[in-house]
Amino acid sequence: MLILAIDTSCDETAVAVTANLQVVSNIVWSQSSLHSSFGGVMPSLAQRQHEERIDWVVQKALTTAHCSLSTIDCIAVTVGNGLGIALGVGINKAKELAIKYKKPLIPVSHTEAHLLSPFAIPNSQFPISNQFSNFQLPSFGLVLSGGTTVLCLVKSIGDYEILAETSDDALGEALDKAARLLGLGYPGGAILEKLAKTGDPKKYKLPLPLQNDRIKNRFSYSGLKTAFVRLYETTKDPNKQDIADLAATFQDTASSHVEKVLEYHCSRFTVHGSQKVTSLLFGGGVANNVELKKRLRKLLNKYRIKLHVPYTKKLNGDNAAMIGVCAYLKNKNLNAKKLNAKYGGLKNINSVDRDPRLRL
Amino acid sequence: MQIIPEDDKAIDIAVEALEKGQLIFMATETVYIAAVDATSEEAVKKLVAFKNRPFGKPFSVGVTDIKMAEKYVVLNETAKNLYKRFLPGPVTVVSTGTHKVANGVEAENGTLGIRIPDYNFFQAVCKKFQKPITATSANASYQRRPYKLSDILDNISDKQKSLIDLMIDAGELPHNEPSTVIDTTLDDEAVILRQGGIKLKDKNEVLSRSEENTQNIAKELWQKYEQHAGKRSIVYALEGAMGAGKTHLVKGLAKAMGITEKVVSPSYDLLNSYSSPSIVDGSLTHIDTWRMLEAAEEMRSLGLEELITNKNVIAIEWADRAIQEIKSYSDDAIIIWVKIEYLSSVASAKLDGNTDNYRLISWGNI
Repeated sequence: MLILAIDTSCDETAVAVTANLQVVSNIVWSQSSLHSSFGGVMPSLAQRQHEERIDWVVQKALTTAHCSLSTIDCIAVTVGNGLGIALGVGINKAKELAIKYKKPLIPVSHTEAHLLSPFAIPNSQFPISNQFSNFQLPSFGLVLSGGTTVLCLVKSIGDYEILAETSDDALGEALDKAARLLGLGYPGGAILEKLAKTGDPKKYKLPLPLQNDRIKNRFSYSGLKTAFVRLYETTKDPNKQDIADLAATFQDTASSHVEKVLEYHCSRFTVHGSQKVTSLLFGGGVANNVELKKRLRKLLNKYRIKLHVPYTKKLNGDNAAMIGVCAYLKNKNLNAKKLNAKYGGLKNINSVDRDPRLRL
Repeated sequence: MQIIPEDDKAIDIAVEALEKGQLIFMATETVYIAAVDATSEEAVKKLVAFKNRPFGKPFSVGVTDIKMAEKYVVLNETAKNLYKRFLPGPVTVVSTGTHKVANGVEAENGTLGIRIPDYNFFQAVCKKFQKPITATSANASYQRRPYKLSDILDNISDKQKSLIDLMIDAGELPHNEPSTVIDTTLDDEAVILRQGGIKLKDKNEVLSRSEENTQNIAKELWQKYEQHAGKRSIVYALEGAMGAGKTHLVKGLAKAMGITEKVVSPSYDLLNSYSSPSIVDGSLTHIDTWRMLEAAEEMRSLGLEELITNKNVIAIEWADRAIQEIKSYSDDAIIIWVKIEYLSSVASAKLDGNTDNYRLISWGNI
């Protein structure tokens, strides 16, 4: 299934071409000031910028993939979660193209796409070892990003049971906020991670969030944030090393929280449950945090659970390839005729609408 | 194109080339950079052609010290601290530009990324040249990081090669990460300074001892103004430091309005809407300006005016970043300003026990 996928959920204008699970092209135009690896800061300009860039990015994705709109099978577009006015740009473009070229239009959830992003495979003539050779459902699914923090049980593609969600801030947001407090600008999550490498996570002490939750069905970062503000205020004129130590301490505690919640569910499904979970799908921007990934891998090893992450960092940031892969995975049983009946035709296409708070 | 080794003689040759508006490649502590005179339109055009960039992507520039940087950008507190702590070094600090560089160097929104490379040869050239030099990595867009000249030459077209005037060979560099870009423009205090403080009429003040307590206070705040719901827009403008409990207060408002959906921080999505069963066609719109560069303008583009005309209930976090904008709706909406503060050390000393979760919550009309 050759899919043209579009995502304009936030600051990045992203278009990709995917063939089943294969990423043929994956173009991300970042609105951030200099480097595409960081998010942006001008959401009101987002809409205008998306509008100005989208045709170029669509074209670039198609030419990079050596295909044209007439040869693709269908179009997929993010309808949520995200910034309403930004989402609208991608949806309108997708509708326009779907109508003009008579293609089915598949609406996709951004969070679900992050969840399924580990299934994507590179566009390479050389076969790669399949990390999913022993993959079995149900699996755990973990999406950690600027806007989402959720742990779920993937019973089948499209059927998810939420095990824990954030009750206030997303993890990525908390990291960005901590970074900004440390004077690392915005968005500083990635910078905080870099600095934390040279810091001592034990130099300071921060309380672990929700320690007293017996049933660990939520995440929370508001209390940690509060404690961090207090801690920072007591550090007089911090130097580079102090900042690194503070960064390391925050990251360490925030990661421990994820670990504790995950461990609770690992043991729940491994020891008592009749169904054993043997894998975890991990996606979203925070999945690029090497330290966190290392710690989760170690924990999962203990329960003999395999960690699946996307083959490239680019799939963890906002991108459209994951949208194409998600659209494929959810509809791979449909032949062209059924696909068209479900998603084709003016009526279906026009009914696609933004859903800014859409989750799994 | 000429390739010369990096030595003392090369300094003068490099400066001369820059003065002529030429494109030269040289090493830094991170990667090889494509250097041109950042103030010369012609030279920057040449760089754009070499980089083969689509459009509109800005270039970071290298300078010798903070003094030189201040000619080209306005440094706020955050930026000054970063210069003090991290520069010279592999960090690019983005600030508001003074528009003294060539077109296309600053970003479209007028910001400019500056770094001070921790590399003697660069320092020597820049010091002699007395002008900022573009410090963009020497690869063409989407190509591998240039740690040696062949990394560049093997991956570019003949046309691109013809644009290069001079290459200064420092051998293979250690494979350090490219510089980290830190954007400080969101922390421009000017935004808040311009707004001025807020004076509350009929000020109320209570002490909250816990998050639950804060939510109950929110419930009272709702009940007090509930009678106006559907007749006028009600705006809860929330001010308070990070972690003070603004989102918790909104959770309380939502609960009081009969909303059962989970209310989470809208920092990332900027705006969340929840429909309320207790008001006819009513909803709670939860806005957060934390991530917005120009909070007033951003909120307008998110449809604040329409929300107010439609008599919505609105809660705005970090409202102090857009005081004037919010004030301008005082004829059309009931605006309740809510401040959430940590206790001062003096105040906490007077109270028993652990006061970490205590907050002073005050509110009034503006």
